Amino acid sequence: MPGTYEDETREVESSGSAARSGLPASRPAIALSYVILLVGVAIALVPFLYVVSTSLKETTSLFSYPPDWIPSPIYWGNFESLFADHPFVWWTFNTLFVAGAVTVLKLWFDTMAGYALAKMEFTGRRGVALLFLLSVAIPISALIIPLFFVVRYLGLLNTYWALILPPLANPLGIFMARSFIVGIPDNLEDSARLDGASEFTIYRKIVLPLIRPGLVVLGMFTFMLQYTSFIWPLIAVQDSERQVLAVGISGLQSAFLQDWGLLSAAMLAAAIPITLVFLLVQKAFVVNDLSGALKE
Amino acid sequence: MPALSSPSDIAVSLIQVAKSYGAVEVLQPFDLQVAEGEFVVLLGPSGCGKSTILKMIAGLEEASHGEIHVAGELVNYVRPRYRNVAMVFQNYALYPHMTVRENIAFPLKMSRQPRLRRAVIEERTAEAADIVDLTPYLDRKPAQLSGGQRQRVALARAIVRQPAVFLMDEPLSNLDALLRADMRTSLLDVHARIKKATLYVTHDQIEAMTMADRVVVINAGRIQQIGQPHELYTAPANTFVAQFIGSPRMPLHSLTVSDDGALRIADATLALDAAVVLEPEATVTVGLRPSALRATDSVSACFFGEARRRDYLGSDSYLEVDLGDGASAMVRAEADTDVRPGDKVHVDAAPGAIHVFDEAGVRICGASVGQRER
Repeated sequence: MPGTYEDETREVESSGSAARSGLPASRPAIALSYVILLVGVAIALVPFLYVVSTSLKETTSLFSYPPDWIPSPIYWGNFESLFADHPFVWWTFNTLFVAGAVTVLKLWFDTMAGYALAKMEFTGRRGVALLFLLSVAIPISALIIPLFFVVRYLGLLNTYWALILPPLANPLGIFMARSFIVGIPDNLEDSARLDGASEFTIYRKIVLPLIRPGLVVLGMFTFMLQYTSFIWPLIAVQDSERQVLAVGISGLQSAFLQDWGLLSAAMLAAAIPITLVFLLVQKAFVVNDLSGALKE
Repeated sequence: MPALSSPSDIAVSLIQVAKSYGAVEVLQPFDLQVAEGEFVVLLGPSGCGKSTILKMIAGLEEASHGEIHVAGELVNYVRPRYRNVAMVFQNYALYPHMTVRENIAFPLKMSRQPRLRRAVIEERTAEAADIVDLTPYLDRKPAQLSGGQRQRVALARAIVRQPAVFLMDEPLSNLDALLRADMRTSLLDVHARIKKATLYVTHDQIEAMTMADRVVVINAGRIQQIGQPHELYTAPANTFVAQFIGSPRMPLHSLTVSDDGALRIADATLALDAAVVLEPEATVTVGLRPSALRATDSVSACFFGEARRRDYLGSDSYLEVDLGDGASAMVRAEADTDVRPGDKVHVDAAPGAIHVFDEAGVRICGASVGQRER
């Protein structure tokens, strides 16, 4: 393996020019693209790094000029206060539990509904699909008040059910699932049907494994949305210990005092679980395409 | 061909079956019976309705009219999985996330019979894999197999169920020519081994002619002819069958019967094989089977004309010969024939070379050349 930069560039250039018909990029152009990329990275990272820095400083030292990027000494008091004075562990648990439950149930319902809309013939199929589509267009602000009354009427206010049930009715996932499933050739289901599989077995053993990459995306999307949801949990749950992270953290601010150090610590701590979830799920993004199912 | 001696010998029976989508009639009512162990090929151009017949037997499409019996049982309202048929699809339809072993075992695991024991499933899977020579590939995924191997997995998945009837929907049309010939032989070997009624859909006349006990020729939703390959070739029921079967394609000529009732192509008068009297002034169609026409040096040959084109095929050549009066024929010649476009050629017609059809295209009889005027 050639060690020098020139050797590597030459190699890249020769294979690149062989693969593409375009000319290899000149050195200044490469340098410029790096500069642009670095600026992009800085724009993305600086706020985050500032939060990290702030979370490790006393609030009083926040306003020094020029700002100290690297706290000295490192101050852990914000985190201690977060965990000692506030039910932050509960908030995290509630958020993970609600987001997890919503994701699992939603994937289940959306794929079943998507399967029916994509593959089953029934009267009114188009009408049902249209109805779902129309309901996407209703803004959440128009729904919140009626939803509040419904949930209160059911006696579910201040419970996990209040947080879990309403998001399940979002039809966007059904459309996503439907579009994944439409792509599966009918022959596969016909074949399974002849092999003796019931409709539910076809859904579970043939369709679900084949749309797994799509499901991972839909699952992540749902989980993220739920993890950061704010307005509805704010209304549906009053107990501090039943709160989710977004609402709990926003409650750390008060009208007269902003404890930026504490807020930063909370934001940082709240980002850790979802980052871990991302890392765990990343492997499942591996493309599981239909190669081999049919003649290409 | 196995004789249809008693109803119990019949694996599939279609009685006045028809299919339409709304007002569009895709299959006109027809009858078809397939005997136990018989290999019947449904042959026709794309979109003629042949795959629809298979799907109706399988239960994937509902028949609009008529009765479908499988193994003596009326199955019109029986779900696909209870019909005791197995189907092999053109594009394999393998489950890509399962190994070859899991693909083959899938129908057994889905079996509604008293649950099959694991050992039985393994044994039958291995047996089916062995029949199609897939034993070394059992732990691979379909994506890791070649086209021919994938089609064999599909075949094994059908075999493992031990169905009463096999339905094959153009199973070889995605394979290259060489592999297709090999797979044809393998399929026939498998058929000979398991001896089950098979309905095989194809648009390839070579597949039909080489594999079938009987061929059903279909065009535009209508059965054109049902018969053994030899019958279709030597006595095509109509002009469609005459042109669809055989290569090169049989040229057709529209002729008018002369006042004396004689039929002439250029300077040759045709003698009909059967005692049929043609109405004077009637219009008939005459087809000349290329493989039965031969270029010859003999001046006493049946036809005389001028070569227009020469197609070299390796084993022999075909000449397009202008016979005069607007009639032309494709004529077989030696591969290394020295006839070139523009040369004069004598053409001999073997028995079975000339077919006469009425105005509607229905075959009247065969003919031979009675006499030449010049």
